[in-house]
Amino acid sequence: MFLEVQNIVKSFNNEHVVKELDFSLDAHKTLSILGKSGCGKTTMLKIIAGLVEPDSGTISLKGENITHMRPEKRNIVYLYQEDLLFPHLNAFENISFGLRLKKIPEPQIKEKVNHIIASLELHGQATKMPTQLSGGQRQRVSFGRAIITNPSLLLLDEPFGSLDAGTRQRMQSLFKKLTQEYDITSLFVTHDLKEAVLMGDEIGYMRAGMLQVYKNKQDFINDPDTGVQEEIEYWKSLKG
Amino acid sequence: MLIGVVPFFAAFIYALGYSFGVMGVLNNGFTTRFWESVFASGEFLKSFGYSAAIALVSLVLSIGGALWVTLKFRRELDKKFLSFMMYLPLAIPGVVAGFFMIQLFSKAGFFARIAFQLGLIEKTAQFPDLVNDSLAFGIIVAFITMLIPFFTLLFLNVYKNERIEELSILAHALGANANQVTRRVFLPIILKKTGVLIALYFIFLLGAYEVPLILGQESPQMLSVLIIRETRQFDLSKISEGYVVAVMYTLVVSITVILLFLPKRKKAIYES
Repeated sequence: MFLEVQNIVKSFNNEHVVKELDFSLDAHKTLSILGKSGCGKTTMLKIIAGLVEPDSGTISLKGENITHMRPEKRNIVYLYQEDLLFPHLNAFENISFGLRLKKIPEPQIKEKVNHIIASLELHGQATKMPTQLSGGQRQRVSFGRAIITNPSLLLLDEPFGSLDAGTRQRMQSLFKKLTQEYDITSLFVTHDLKEAVLMGDEIGYMRAGMLQVYKNKQDFINDPDTGVQEEIEYWKSLKG
Repeated sequence: MLIGVVPFFAAFIYALGYSFGVMGVLNNGFTTRFWESVFASGEFLKSFGYSAAIALVSLVLSIGGALWVTLKFRRELDKKFLSFMMYLPLAIPGVVAGFFMIQLFSKAGFFARIAFQLGLIEKTAQFPDLVNDSLAFGIIVAFITMLIPFFTLLFLNVYKNERIEELSILAHALGANANQVTRRVFLPIILKKTGVLIALYFIFLLGAYEVPLILGQESPQMLSVLIIRETRQFDLSKISEGYVVAVMYTLVVSITVILLFLPKRKKAIYES
């Protein structure tokens, strides 16, 4: 398996936030993770990213144990709920940030960034500062900055939570396109049922610090705890 | 406009008139001799260079110190007591800070006495000149003790408002090590956000009065001390020369401020 998470446990002040986390994920797949606020989703992502140290358990990526590896050595990018851009850099420089750290030659940086700017439909926005971009544009820059470094794993924490319905829909299609184009493996945390089904090759549901990954989408839909059945009934009742 | 610009502009016109002999009890009409005299003596340029050097050294050391404190002790400084201790020096006036420096660094001061007790010196004259000295050690130390707390509080505020903690974590996730996070995230964000204030503080230090008056040497003197000395002379003909220096100082400062606040030109287009 590409990503293997085994028996991860994390407590804060005697409160078990993550309990016996156990799942795996194939390369180039997206695992959507649903769950209510405070169920431990963000902590789980931060543990995998190396930003929070687990109390016990192991995380392996491409067969290598990365449980205690420093975040910058993991080649895992964690994307915040908000579009957190570097305020002193324009869109181009934000996207090229990771490449510059690797000291890639300038012409190559220019070529890669311009290519991703085109893929992200950000023509004409390269020189704009973060404050001059819309919410959707900022989120795309944030994506571009993460994808361009070719991370082994992308962790997305409710990335479209703050966007309006139309922009959110466009971002979902764009994300699907980019994951295929760049062969991205990702964990996609969301509150939105439809988004989870749309974005994930696999779907998991997290409750009270425990993650259940469903064998297929039908199992997920059939589980009464996920709320999908309620949603279907609701829309049916509106139809009459 | 009425409160800020008009009185300032009126005072400037008055000083300009005085410097060209148009105003003043002993002046008889337009002349450039006061300006010629000031340039011939070279005292203004020497004083300006001396003041700029002191302001620059004090500012660089203070900003460096404040950045280091912010980077290393930001979590500790969140505690109420330490935060209070940082605010405390801001309440100390320049005059008091100047006298503190005399108490600490003069030949009969605290450190000289310690040096004597430790047997490092046998008489006070052997203690190095640390106040009213040519290297302006006393002035610079006084400025630093006043500026480090101010800049630390300013940088801590920017650190929180600009979410540098989260941005640093993000930079780590993108592959940056601690050194790169400092150079590419922490420093540029803080310095960009506070750049104008730093430049204004340089101007403020350039025109500082009380501290250089107490801790400075006879010659060269810092600008404000020189200007006040010239305009308070018994020789009334020298007053106009004081106003020449004041006018030149005002022009330099005003041009700097205008350049600081001019809209920035856009950088080159990246896409091509």
